[in-house]
Amino acid sequence: MTADLAEIARYMRMGRSVPDGELAERVTRLRDDALKAIRPAQAWRRFPIAEGAIASGGLRLEISGTLGRHLVGCQAACLACGTIGAGFDAFQRRASVSSGVDALIVQAIGAALIEKLMDRLEDEIRVSLDKGESLVSRYSPGYGDFPLAAQRVVLALLDAPRTVGVSLTDTLLMVPSKSVSAIIGITKG
Amino acid sequence: MSIIPSGDGRIIFLDGGMGTQLQAKGLQPGEVPELWNLSHPADVRAVHEAYFAAGADIVYANTFGANSAKYHGNAPLADVIAAGIALAREAASGTNGRRFVALDVGPTGRLLKPAGDFEFDAAYDAFAEQVQIGAKAGADLVVIETMGDAYELKAAVLAAKENATLPILATVALGEDGKLLTGASVECVAALLEGLRVDALGFNCGFGPDRMLPFVKRLAAATSLPIAVKPNAGLPQVKDGRTVFTVGPEEFARDVAALADAGASIVGGCCGTTPAHIAAVQESLGCVLKAHSTVPPQPPRTVVTSGSRAVEIPFDDTIIIGERINPTGKKKLKAALAEGDVAYVLREAVAQSEAGAHILDVNVGVPGLDEPAVLDATVQAVQSVTDLPLQIDTSDPRALERTLRHYNGKALVNSVNGKEESMTAVLPLVAKYGGAVVALTLDETGIPPAAEGRVAIARKILARGAEYGLKPSDFVVDVLCLAVSADAQSANVILEAMRKVRTELGCRTCLGVSNISFGLPARPLLNAAFYTMALANGLSAGIVNPLAADMMTAFRAFRALTAKDRTCSNWIAAFTDWSPAMPVSSRLAASGTPSSAKPEAGNESALSASIRHGLKADAAAAAKTALEGGSKPLDVINKSIVPALETVGKGFESGRVFLPQLLMAAEAAGAAFDVVRSAMPAHDGAAVKGPIVIATVKGDIHDIGKNICRALLENYGFKVIDLGRDVPPERIVETARREKARLVGLSALMTTTVCFMEETVKLLHEKLPDCKVTVGGAVLTADYAAKIGADHYSKDAMGLVRYAELLFQ
Repeated sequence: MTADLAEIARYMRMGRSVPDGELAERVTRLRDDALKAIRPAQAWRRFPIAEGAIASGGLRLEISGTLGRHLVGCQAACLACGTIGAGFDAFQRRASVSSGVDALIVQAIGAALIEKLMDRLEDEIRVSLDKGESLVSRYSPGYGDFPLAAQRVVLALLDAPRTVGVSLTDTLLMVPSKSVSAIIGITKG
Repeated sequence: MSIIPSGDGRIIFLDGGMGTQLQAKGLQPGEVPELWNLSHPADVRAVHEAYFAAGADIVYANTFGANSAKYHGNAPLADVIAAGIALAREAASGTNGRRFVALDVGPTGRLLKPAGDFEFDAAYDAFAEQVQIGAKAGADLVVIETMGDAYELKAAVLAAKENATLPILATVALGEDGKLLTGASVECVAALLEGLRVDALGFNCGFGPDRMLPFVKRLAAATSLPIAVKPNAGLPQVKDGRTVFTVGPEEFARDVAALADAGASIVGGCCGTTPAHIAAVQESLGCVLKAHSTVPPQPPRTVVTSGSRAVEIPFDDTIIIGERINPTGKKKLKAALAEGDVAYVLREAVAQSEAGAHILDVNVGVPGLDEPAVLDATVQAVQSVTDLPLQIDTSDPRALERTLRHYNGKALVNSVNGKEESMTAVLPLVAKYGGAVVALTLDETGIPPAAEGRVAIARKILARGAEYGLKPSDFVVDVLCLAVSADAQSANVILEAMRKVRTELGCRTCLGVSNISFGLPARPLLNAAFYTMALANGLSAGIVNPLAADMMTAFRAFRALTAKDRTCSNWIAAFTDWSPAMPVSSRLAASGTPSSAKPEAGNESALSASIRHGLKADAAAAAKTALEGGSKPLDVINKSIVPALETVGKGFESGRVFLPQLLMAAEAAGAAFDVVRSAMPAHDGAAVKGPIVIATVKGDIHDIGKNICRALLENYGFKVIDLGRDVPPERIVETARREKARLVGLSALMTTTVCFMEETVKLLHEKLPDCKVTVGGAVLTADYAAKIGADHYSKDAMGLVRYAELLFQ
């Protein structure tokens, strides 16, 4: 897994412009160091949707509001979580101490890498689908009116602290910081 | 000592998976497994019975997640744990022979600081409660398992030691790279757990026994304690979104036998293993005597660790302890510590690490400072930006205990000496928390003038250490470096004493080398020469300045010349670009790209161009050239640096220049500023503006935006006091008050933390009405900023700089 300069540049808010010269060298060097610091991990699990919710083991994830509209017609969905690991955060803290430029670049590298990982995770799910099924785009707690508090349920149903090493802070932030959780609806036809 | 009384001489058998067995009986995802102790007692007991029947000596009670940080069931925690122990006990009583019940302690499911937001003390409290309940309920031993973070592991072991007198078995879950989730290596875990004096240690979960083999071999080389293994039934595989394990009992037993050959003497299974797996293992190893005794004993080593890295203080090689985080004689560091400016200390840490230090000394001895609090906080902050182990340097036992307890890893303690008071205070702490300790050869009578006297004190300290269970390998002897200007024999005595410590006591040595030159001119030259002599006399760890080129050259040369750097690869890597005639300034300039440094417009200075192009080295060199050419410092600032920054800043605001380029230009300007400032008399016209206090608010651990603001502000000539992230409102107010800051910048990334921002703004306005507050962060808007009462909204880092410029005009 890696990310190229153009992808990283987008997360540095450089639009379509691609770094060159000294900036390109710095991005490449930090990217290569970052790749040594990451430890990607992913988990997903398929659940039926019944009565407007995913329910298991006494936990319940309401599928309503904007999420309900996004998943309209889906009778099942996958919960998924991916992370590039705590080592990346340590690398980012180190890189941020002495240089604001490095801080910015490393944060962009992390964003590009976790996006790659989630795409890969979706591909893995896609392979497991039955004939005629397809995925709708992924939707994360905090989008629209899907409450951030739903993180607790999503991560508990995936046993995420144990399976991928992702947990929540008291303020519902995922740690390691470059982690994504999502619900991905499955439609038929 | 064995973890169970009957375990001597033969392999001890543990049980297999519990969670996967309960899932097979209907446990659903999201359900709390420990609640089954109350709701499905027969099912839980049946699992234990099956494992005892398969030959397990010890079963783990169903209490893995029964700590208050993780457990969210609707029955009291104490009932769940007590029922879990009772069910295992009932199963044990139905079998022949002695069977044992372990309290199973798993992770909290929370990430500890600095990786997450959970406090070490909170993790400790959760584990302590679990251990108290479990011990009272009658557990025979405590197992701590599936730990993925060395820091959390330390909290759990301390809790087990301090809240029960039961044997402790601690196992960690490695990734396929042989490391914990937060990066600790096998050697790091071994050193930590040996230091904390557990009774047995090893691995569980993660993968199957085949993949565990190389790591068991490494563990056997790193520890003399019994080794436990509890692998999964192979690698977990995802099938239709469900995790399955595919290795059957025979294959599992065969591979576990290989682990026993490699040194494991306590064996069982984790996820996916069944009673059939344990029966197969018992079948193949039931008559085998403890394999560990066949592995040759390892010579004692001196190892200290951080949360992720183990560093050996070698007997026949040498390492560097970075000395720069010590305020003695360092005005800037003293001021930074007094102001609570963490960023300054962190930069020192990273710079020394990049320069090649192996361990960093941390000393915060500034008069008037609350040393226990400041040392503890500083060590934690430094650990967040470096994976080097630290040397905790204090003479205050309270500061030492508090810091050692919270230290992530096994620290080097600096120091104990031969005074009764010091030995009584320090040695028990080293024994309790693990660690190596520097032994200073002085006592109530002072520093003996001759080598023999110093060695005698070291011998006395070692003997006292033995009373606390400390071995000679737990000590690093410092024979004390006195200035050769005060005593002509000083260097001779030091070298002789070091040789004697090595040969007579078998101990490693360390030395604060640069004291030798005190009171003499050209100190760096003398220091480097003496350092080389000390190395040649067996110095294990020089406490030196790794940023001093002469010292690093001596270190590298010594290692290349004495076959420590066997292929001279380190020497070559350090000096590939070296050339004899190259002065430092032109070397700096050469590292930039000269072509792009050419002025584009005829009248633009080389300095301005370098800044615009973000060429740090070129900008510093150009500033130096300008000063050497007779330009006045203030003119260099006002005619070159400021206009160039202005051009780039405007470009950014109009969208022609992107953020990384703006920051690079600012860094180049900062480098030029530094050159100019060092040429200026103090309090000249361009004094530093500020201070500005910045912080990421309480509850929020995202600090990239704040760090970018700090970098830009500093490079625009502002003094910034950076309080870090997750900072409580009271601390921000207190710092702003003490430093008379006219501006505070607050950052928050998430909607869930903006409430703390609002609280901080309110408190600031209430207590310090003259102080302005600007806020920024992903979820904020100008409207929202106004709503929570901020004086200003910074759209981005440049916006903050503009506001600060306006305010400090």
